[in-house]
Amino acid sequence: MADVTRLPGVWEQIRLVAGLRWRILGNNLRKKHNQWDLIGMIFIGVFATLFVLGLCFAFYFGAYSFLSGGHEAWIAFLFWGIFLFRQLVPIFTAGFGAGFEFRNMLRFPLSLGAFYAIGLAYGLADFAAIASSCWLMAMIIGVARANPTVLPTMIAVSALFLLMNITLERMIGSWLERILARRRAREIFFAAFVLCAVSLQFLNPLLQRYGRAAQPWVRQVLPYLSVFPPSLAGRAIVGAAQGHFTDVLLGAAGISAYALLFSVFLWLRFATQYRGEELSETAAPERAVVRPISRTAEQSDALQLLTPQVAAVLRKEFRYLTRNSFAFFLLIMPPVFVLLFTTQFAGRHPTATKHAVSTEFFFPGMMAYLILILMAPAYNSFAYDGKGIQTFFTSPVSFREVFLGKNLLQVAMLTFELTLSMAAFSYLVGLPSLPVLVATLAAIVFNVTGQLAIANWSSLSFPRKLNFGQMRGQRQSGMAVLVSFGTQILLGGISAPILFMSRWTGNAWLPAEVFVFLAGAAIAGYTSSLDPLAALAEKKKETLIDALSR
Amino acid sequence: MTDAAIVTEKLTRRFGNLTAVDGVDLTVAAGQFFGFLGPNGAGKSTTIKMLTGLLAPSSGRAQLLGLDFARHPVEVKRQIGVVPEGMGLFERLTGAEYLQFVGRMYGLDRPTTQRRSEELLDFMQLSDRPKTLIADYSHGMQKKLALAAAVIHGPRILFLDEPFEGVDALAAGALKALLGRMTERGVTIFLTSHVLEIVERLCSHVAIIDKGRLVAQGSLAELRAGIAGEEGSKTTLEQIFLSIVGQDGAQRPQLEELSWLM
Repeated sequence: MADVTRLPGVWEQIRLVAGLRWRILGNNLRKKHNQWDLIGMIFIGVFATLFVLGLCFAFYFGAYSFLSGGHEAWIAFLFWGIFLFRQLVPIFTAGFGAGFEFRNMLRFPLSLGAFYAIGLAYGLADFAAIASSCWLMAMIIGVARANPTVLPTMIAVSALFLLMNITLERMIGSWLERILARRRAREIFFAAFVLCAVSLQFLNPLLQRYGRAAQPWVRQVLPYLSVFPPSLAGRAIVGAAQGHFTDVLLGAAGISAYALLFSVFLWLRFATQYRGEELSETAAPERAVVRPISRTAEQSDALQLLTPQVAAVLRKEFRYLTRNSFAFFLLIMPPVFVLLFTTQFAGRHPTATKHAVSTEFFFPGMMAYLILILMAPAYNSFAYDGKGIQTFFTSPVSFREVFLGKNLLQVAMLTFELTLSMAAFSYLVGLPSLPVLVATLAAIVFNVTGQLAIANWSSLSFPRKLNFGQMRGQRQSGMAVLVSFGTQILLGGISAPILFMSRWTGNAWLPAEVFVFLAGAAIAGYTSSLDPLAALAEKKKETLIDALSR
Repeated sequence: MTDAAIVTEKLTRRFGNLTAVDGVDLTVAAGQFFGFLGPNGAGKSTTIKMLTGLLAPSSGRAQLLGLDFARHPVEVKRQIGVVPEGMGLFERLTGAEYLQFVGRMYGLDRPTTQRRSEELLDFMQLSDRPKTLIADYSHGMQKKLALAAAVIHGPRILFLDEPFEGVDALAAGALKALLGRMTERGVTIFLTSHVLEIVERLCSHVAIIDKGRLVAQGSLAELRAGIAGEEGSKTTLEQIFLSIVGQDGAQRPQLEELSWLM
């Protein structure tokens, strides 16, 4: 029999939730036994503090100089900066993974009002909220110093602006939670994000080429921005500075109206959650399919040259690649970068330099860059296997076969990407001379094969689990990254002088001959590394299973 | 069948200062349905992991079907099936793809793998979701799939860590029947479960581990004989278990302490 005599008040509940979040943060920090993780966290903490403090000064001087220098209208830009940061950063951080689930609070005896208040209070506790609050404070101090008569309006407008921002951010967050509850939606969202990030690379060349032409269009759009909250906040401050109280009232009323509108939507959203919302990922049963009679007996196996185990691993890896939106969409990047760099630095009309870089240097350089990007995942090749790693250890196979399957897919994927990139390169600026082409191809074999052996060792020694379609908390092991860079620098350092040997000796085919020899040695080294690596996998199986099954 | 399927000698596993499994001597005859019991943290899963190649023992040895595991790991693994703790599934494959992967890893040819996968998916009532990824399966469905994967190659010993946890009553009934038929054909089943009624109903022999040490081993009849039950009534496995692991009154948490709940 529950003997609850009273329900805790809203403030008491908020205090309890704040205490809970604080405890979770402390426990998470305590779990960071790995010194690389700790160093990473300290680095991020210092960087974030410097970032916030640096911009505090910028917002302070901005507000001060705009008001004291007679450019009051420009203060809206500062509000826009805070607004965009406040709304976009949480989407790109919290949006990709499940964080602390505020919905869990629903199991407790909360009223809808308390649930709403706690939900709103949540909006005050993330990095973007703290940073933007600091910047608003800096602006208030700047305004107070420049023109003390504007201070009351600035405080009131900042408070309304803050409330509006929190409400909007929570509203977007709760809708995202609803939409991203399903794995497929999360992956599509993540893929869209990667595409946006890739597209941003084209911003600079596009601005260089079409920037001037776009200016009139931008000027036409600007007036429409005046109805949005940051412009309304700016309007209120300008009104206060110039004694136009109608503008102060209109600005403040506009932000209040936005805050009220978002509050109503947020209330409705929270009310739906409060009543109990189904966000289950488990799919409903599909209509039973009539199973066709197996015809595999007549089908030939495309991978029949491989052992069944290697073929099975290869197939599994291919399926994983096609179902991992992040990895899959990263594959579109290399040809895109070839296109981007080639138009900027090579060809007849480079946009970034006056004179085009010679194809003889540019081609090997581009191939080295592509290998740098494409080989990185191989250094933590079990990352997405998760608990499935146990299947490799319970099956009657040696890890030699597991590595062969994984490496074969890596090589196939590299071959496809490099061929595509070479085709794009050839179309745009043409291929280099035959000796350089052959030397580069042999250098690719040397670099990739050499790296695979070390990458396999790194995958066993520094495993780190990664989740599909999730960005939050997804970090490679610091040591794996270090090994990856170290190896690439070492092999790149060996390869670069060899490529230049033709210039020093006058023998155009010498680099190709050296690389063919090195490629042969790398293949022999790789082959002989497989058995020792299989033995190492046996030794490391506990740490491997432990790291990937968390 | 009296040949031993599983024999362990002084099997020990230490994690730093903690000895999770301490000198376990276990003998399981071929064709037995063997229940391995113990309280939480007693060392059941650690023992299973050592018997299936997921964990190396600190000392001692394990022999399966007459083969030393440390010397012949691949040959032993070929003849055993496992549902490990956490199930060990590749969650980004569909059920059929996973079974085909496992079948091929055990060296089955493609037509056989395909046929058995389909039959197992039908039997486990998983064939109505051909395109659903394992990540989207419910816990019970994942458990059934893990069981299907453990038997696809026709193992001679089957290790099951909490096999019925989360499985609905209908499927559990079918599974029990399947496991029973497998033991009739000579397959040895080594099972851990916290549901003592299931173990009592299925298993002919039981071992109990507590704090890493094997504290009892034998047939249910042998274990019953060692426990004084109420006159005229059959001693249940729960009574045997509580009596052996020392929770029979003296160490059992006293309900009086929670009087405010009653």
